[in-house]
Formats: sequence, structure tokens, C-alpha cells
Amino acid sequence: MEFSDAIWVQAAAFLGAAFSVGFGAIGAALGEGYAAGRAGRAISKSPELSGPILKNMLIGQAVAESAGIFALVIAMLLVFIDTDGRPLIDAFAYLGAGLSMGLSAIGSGLGSGFPAAEACQGIADNPPTQAAISTNMLIGSAISQTPAIFGMVVAFMLMFVDFTSQPLWPAWAALLGAGLSMGLAAIGSGVGSGIPAGSSTLGMARQPSAATAIRTNMLIGSAVSQTPAIFGMVVAFMLLFIDWSNVPPWPTWAALLGAGLSTGLSAIGPGIGNGLTAGEAAEGVARQPEAQGPITTTMLIGQTVAQSTVIYGFLVSLILLFIQQEPSHAMTEWVALLSAGICMGFGGIGPGIGEGIAAAYAVRRIARDMSQNVLLTRVMLVGQAVSESTGIYSLIVSLLLLFVI
Amino acid sequence: MEDLTIVPKWILTLGGYTLEFNSETLIMSWIVMGILIFFGWIATKKISILPGPYQTLAEVMVATFEQLVADALDEGNRHYFPLIITIFLFIWLSNMLGVIPFLSEPTKDLNTPLAYGILGFFIAHYAGIKTKGFKAYASEYVQPMFFMAPLNIIGELSKVVSISFRLYGNIMGGSIIIMVVSHLVYNLVLPPLLNAFFGIFVGTIQAFVFTMLTLVYISVQTK
Repeated sequence: MEFSDAIWVQAAAFLGAAFSVGFGAIGAALGEGYAAGRAGRAISKSPELSGPILKNMLIGQAVAESAGIFALVIAMLLVFIDTDGRPLIDAFAYLGAGLSMGLSAIGSGLGSGFPAAEACQGIADNPPTQAAISTNMLIGSAISQTPAIFGMVVAFMLMFVDFTSQPLWPAWAALLGAGLSMGLAAIGSGVGSGIPAGSSTLGMARQPSAATAIRTNMLIGSAVSQTPAIFGMVVAFMLLFIDWSNVPPWPTWAALLGAGLSTGLSAIGPGIGNGLTAGEAAEGVARQPEAQGPITTTMLIGQTVAQSTVIYGFLVSLILLFIQQEPSHAMTEWVALLSAGICMGFGGIGPGIGEGIAAAYAVRRIARDMSQNVLLTRVMLVGQAVSESTGIYSLIVSLLLLFVI
Repeated sequence: MEDLTIVPKWILTLGGYTLEFNSETLIMSWIVMGILIFFGWIATKKISILPGPYQTLAEVMVATFEQLVADALDEGNRHYFPLIITIFLFIWLSNMLGVIPFLSEPTKDLNTPLAYGILGFFIAHYAGIKTKGFKAYASEYVQPMFFMAPLNIIGELSKVVSISFRLYGNIMGGSIIIMVVSHLVYNLVLPPLLNAFFGIFVGTIQAFVFTMLTLVYISVQTK
């Protein structure tokens, strides 16, 4: 049987569509299920409020669903895209588009389930604040959709930007890497922006008078949790729009794939970690509104430190993208480049979450005892520095693989 | 559907250098500026104790943002309030522009958010040096240990990247989903709802997030 390029492109588009909806459905379904579960619990606590709780659950689920709908839209476009006469490079673009959209929808779907769930609980706890709770839930869910929207932007560019001027080698790895970088990086940030959205919604029920302070704190905390996804998007853009025609195909393709994996994987941890910190901060402001100043400051310091592993990942990506490789077909060369990316990528996950937990507890204690602000911040920084060390080991091994081997 | 990736340009050759201007972004920014200047003029034309509708609107906005700035900044740095409210109004109005047919958001072009991100970055650092003095400002970069300096510098620079790409990604993503879904449903029923959610709702939230982050960056530097 003879395969033309167009058939491969068509097959890749179908596979991309499957990745998009397949992965994309995971997050939305989990998030909606969690919301429904918490709604059931809230209704059993105060059955007389079943009407408003049910209505709220449905609205929250509808917003959580939108991550899945983005994935569906991209999948529809991929299924019906016209592949006649398209070059083979588009096969990798479509595959990358599916991965970018599908993976990025996981985090956002799950993340926007949190505010929906906590809103049901909040209405049962404090029915008169229903309007404020619903508004906050909508804002929080919309913010949690941001990483999925980034994934969709990259997927859309992969599908509709013309890559015919790029050589198949090594550009295929760049396109696949762009999809992986964006998709993976958005997972953590999606979950991470959902956590503060959820705890701020519950906080609104606890302390309606501090609504503005809680909402502002949530917006800042969620926005910072999205920084890792933004790094993923920046790397994806560089992979998409740099001209690869003047570089040696071997071993550059491995560097490009490694660049995508490095930032993509290492962004998962800091995204979740930052979200944990921001969640405790939103809860802390609701508990003790007058501590808003020290809580926000400590949250921002803790988040900045927790973000350092994704900055390492970004650094390794930049080195992989911009250092000119010597042409070589030797297996050791390309495996070393790919391994550098994988090493930093996986190595960044743990420290990001760990440092986020350290910062979350510091913020939590400051919300209970403002006077210990300085001491708690110092303990947090020392603890974070120690849990950072494994991330630094990964960075060292990555740099060794890049420059010594 | 490729029309989102094509940018209309004015090309100008000046002494051997080719300058490219994104014409759509520029024209839309001028429209936003025109609306803002017109609103400022009409709201302050007849200032009276019994305010007219435009004056009331302006007073509500000024009072809200004055409170936000007062919460975030110390007494000596309150003069950044006009900057903060201007950034919000410009970005908010820019995001709203996409809802109107034939107009598009200037914030959909990365250059606009990036310009505001860089502006906020320099103002925050200027405010930091002015409030704390250069020595205290510089010593923050070697916290908690001296070898963290490169990391701190990258961390500071990454703020510009993250603040501007967040706005750009949201607005660009919103316009893509509006365009693609409207196309898929033959412009029936859904487009107004999509415009309400991605245009008005997300646009307002993102304008507010951008403004609050600029404010927080200034407040972190000055404390």
C-alpha cells in the first residue's frame, strides 16, 4: 500500500483530535463531578436551599465544562480540516495542536470545578451571601480557564500558521515541542488558579464584609499561579516562530523537543504550588481581613521562590533553543540534549509543589498570628531553600549534559 | 480562518531602516484614546455639587480606584493613582472594543500589553529606588543569599513577560473562540453570549488583573 503525505497529515489530524478531546475531557469531568459531590453534601446539610444550590452547581459546571468545549472545538476543526496537498510538516503541527489543547484543558477543567464546589458549600453555610458567592465563583472559574485559553491560542496557531517554509527536519520537533510545552505547562496552572478561586468563594460566605479584599487577593494569587503556563506559552511561541532552516537538523531536533519538555514539565509543580499558597492566602484574608497586607506580601514572596524551578526549566529551554549545535548524527549527542530537557522538566515538579506547601503553611500561620510575620517568613525561606535543592541538582545535571558531554 | 494570523501593516523606510506599524492596532488605540479624552472632557465640562450623569460615573470610578490605591500603597506613593486608573480605563476600553462589529481589541496585539508591562516595570523600579534609596533597593537582589542574584533578576524580568502575555493570551484566545464557534454555528444564537462572556466579562476581569498586578509590583518595590 502506498501512503501519500496527505494521508499521513489526515491521520495526524485525526490523532490530534483524539488527543484534544480525550485529554480535555479528563479535567472538565473531574471538576464537574467534584462540584456535584459538594453540592450533594451541601443539600443534605440544608435541604431547604436545594433550589439555589442546584442552580449554582449547574452554572459552575457549565463554566468548568468550557475547557472541554474548547477541546471539542479544536477537535472538530482537526477532524474536518482540509488536508489535500498539505506537506508532511503539517502532520506534526496537527498532532501538536491536539496535545496543546487537550493537555491544557485538564488543569483548567479540574481547577474551575473547585470554585463551583465551594460555592455550593458556601450557599449552604451562609445563604444571604448567595449573590456575592455566585459572582465570585464566576470570576474565579473564568480566571481558571485562562491556561486552557492559552492552550487554544497555541493550538490555533499550530493549525493555521503556514509552516511550509520550515524544513521538515528539525521543525517537526519544534512543532511537537510547542504543543507539549504549552499543554503540559497549563496543567499545573489550571489546577493552581482553581484552588484560590475555591477558597475565596468559601471565604466570602465566612466573611462577607471583606468581599473586596478577598476577591482582590484571589485575583492576584491566581494570576501569579498562571505564570508557569505563560512561560510554557512563551517557549511554544519561540518554537513556532523561529526560523529553523539554518541549523543542522541533527542533533537540533532533540534540543527543540527537549526545550518543550523542560519548560512544560517543570511548570506543573510551581503552578500547583503557587495555587496552594494563594488558596491559603485567600482563606487567611477571609479569616482575618486586617492581616491582608502581610498575607499578600508573604504570599507573593513565597510564590516567587516556589516559581524558581520553572525559571530553571525556562533557562534550560533557552539554552537548548539558542545554542548553535555542532552537526552530528552520534546517538550520544541527541540523547544528551533530550535528556537535559527531561531531567530539568521532571526535576522541577517536586520542588515547585513542596515550596508551595511551605509557603502555604507560612501564610496560614500569619493569618492566625500576624505578629510572627517576620519569623514565619524567615522559616519559610529557609525551608524552601532546602526543598529547592533537588531542583538545583536537576539543573546541574542538565547543564552537565548540555555543556560537558 | 487564517485572517487572525495576518496583521495589516504600514511600512515606512527611513534612512535605510524599515519601520513596520501594525495599522489596525494603532487605529484602534487612537479610537480608545479618543473615547477616553472625550469622556474626560464631557465629565468635567460642568462640574457642580449636583453631578450630572457623566460626572457621577467619573466620580464613582475615581473613588473606587482611589480606595484600591490607598489600600495598597503607603502615604508617600499615592501619587501613582492617576497612572493606575489610566491603565485600567485604557485596557478595559480596549478589551470592550472587540464587542463592537468591525472594531478589534488593540490588546489582541502583543505589542500593546508589552508596552504597558514595560511601563509598569520601569515605574515600579523607579518608585522602589526613590522610596528606599539605591543601596536598599540593590541589596534586595542578593536576598536571601548572594548567589541568588541572577535568579532574582530573571524573576523580576519574568514579571514583565507574565503580565503582558496573560492579557494578550486571554484577549487573543477570546477572539479566536468567538470567531471559530460563530463560524461553526453559522453566526446563529451563540455569538452574543460568547461576546458577553469572553468580550465583556473576561475582558473586564483581565483589565482589572493587569491593573492590580501593576499596583502590587509598585507596592512590593516600595515596601
